[in-house]
Amino acid sequence: MAAQTSPNPPDAEREPSGLVTFVGAVGASFLDIAATAGGMTILLARILARFFPPRLDGAELWKNLYKMAVKSLPIVVVTALFTGAIMVIQAATIVKRYGAEGLLGWGAGFGTLREIAPLLTALMISGRVGANNTAELGTMVVTEQLDALRVLAIDPISFLIAPRFISIVSTLFMMTLFADALALLGAAYTGQGLLGVTPTTFYNGLTAGLLGFGDVANGLFKSIVFGLVIALSSCHFGLATTGGAPGVGRAVNAAVVASAAGVFVLDYLVSFVLGG
Amino acid sequence: MMDEVEQGEALGPIGQLGAAAIDLLIGGRELYSVFVRTLYYTARGNREKGSTLKQMYEIGNKSLFFISITMGFIGMILVYQAGLQAKRVVPDYTMLGATYLELLVRDFAASIGALMLATRVGAGIAAEIGSMVVTEQVDALRMCAADPIDFLIVPRFIASLIMTLCLIVWAGMIAFVAGGLTAYVAFEVPLQTFFNMALVDIGDLSVGLAKCIAYGAAIPVVSGYCGLSTFGGSEGVGWATTRAVVNTSLAIIILNFFISGAGFLIFPG
Repeated sequence: MAAQTSPNPPDAEREPSGLVTFVGAVGASFLDIAATAGGMTILLARILARFFPPRLDGAELWKNLYKMAVKSLPIVVVTALFTGAIMVIQAATIVKRYGAEGLLGWGAGFGTLREIAPLLTALMISGRVGANNTAELGTMVVTEQLDALRVLAIDPISFLIAPRFISIVSTLFMMTLFADALALLGAAYTGQGLLGVTPTTFYNGLTAGLLGFGDVANGLFKSIVFGLVIALSSCHFGLATTGGAPGVGRAVNAAVVASAAGVFVLDYLVSFVLGG
Repeated sequence: MMDEVEQGEALGPIGQLGAAAIDLLIGGRELYSVFVRTLYYTARGNREKGSTLKQMYEIGNKSLFFISITMGFIGMILVYQAGLQAKRVVPDYTMLGATYLELLVRDFAASIGALMLATRVGAGIAAEIGSMVVTEQVDALRMCAADPIDFLIVPRFIASLIMTLCLIVWAGMIAFVAGGLTAYVAFEVPLQTFFNMALVDIGDLSVGLAKCIAYGAAIPVVSGYCGLSTFGGSEGVGWATTRAVVNTSLAIIILNFFISGAGFLIFPG
């Protein structure tokens, strides 16, 4: 490095061309994504290390479970009911075209259970719980509360991060169960109001054999994967916050964006791996 | 937080329900007032020159990569799942592309794209305006007799109206092409069969367009309102950002329900 401290003057003063800036920007964003993914993996390893033997703060775990799961119920209920209704409205055009009322339950159920309910629940939980978690951790970092914990010889990972990690993953799993049931309820009654398909016909279409436990399990497995992504990205960006109140805002923004992108990419991978 | 909990315990369940309803009512009224003032200043405000263009760059160009990635993946997932679904009943993929394009134009491109924008743009707007509120820059604007809605929300409103439309058209295209490639690779549907626009009619286009405009207006207004109602330091900024993401997403889902319902009643079949 020391040998290169006197660069060629004309080279150093030359303005970088448009192409160089563009390639540089692409490279920088690639490095950025790699750094985020690496940071999240290291965080996951550190959290997992706290489970063997379990060194967790029980009170913090219960507090977070209440704050994240119980308090998110209203928005999950609203989202799921509306989502089910929207699924039926979208399917309605096709059902009317082919006159296949008996298949409405199956069509709406397939999409809801496998894809839409886990995905939209994950997006709502990422917004409500993930963003909130980043904001909370970010505020703690900015106000030096984490350093205070370290001074008191309390491990911030087992005291703060691991309980939040467990809470987010289990919250998303439970909320997806709720959302599955509520979205189908919303779908059944929208079908009745819009198409005149009775809820009984709807549930017959749902349970006639075209859908199995595999479809429900597929969605639930996805919800666990999404939970991992949301938990890791919200904790990672919270811990990496710098620079006062604007920094907290930026951290929350980055965490939400990373969660959403991660959820979509992993959704695709999981769908393909699990297959039909 | 502690105050809230203690107050809640003193109120009892019915009191809590009432308190929530009153909160909702006040929030709705303030949101409505922000919306009306935004429209008023859009028509006759005097904005800083170039601020709308700057916001268009922030909202539009900077979201392009994120939108392309997420919509590309959702396109692949939707076609893959639809193909699996079709396999169980009728193994006939000739109408897969046409039906997918109709659903994309009618709903998925606009709604999923807007949900993505709600997380990226909504959180960004709320974080930025929230930081301004906390660092008293918004009060400084008021001291200069400049309405923060005119200076901060209106440029974002106009920019978001235009850029949401552009981004959603782009998002739909990405999702359709990604879907076509997936159908070709996974189910061996020829691209000529998949790229079929037979089912898209004027009803689908107008519903999709109405959604673009509604979401483009809802994202900056809801998240701007959340940003302006920030209080209390860095924790407050975090709260405002969280609320912006949740409320914008909810607004999109609820608007989607009403526009889709209206679209189905106006253009049946």
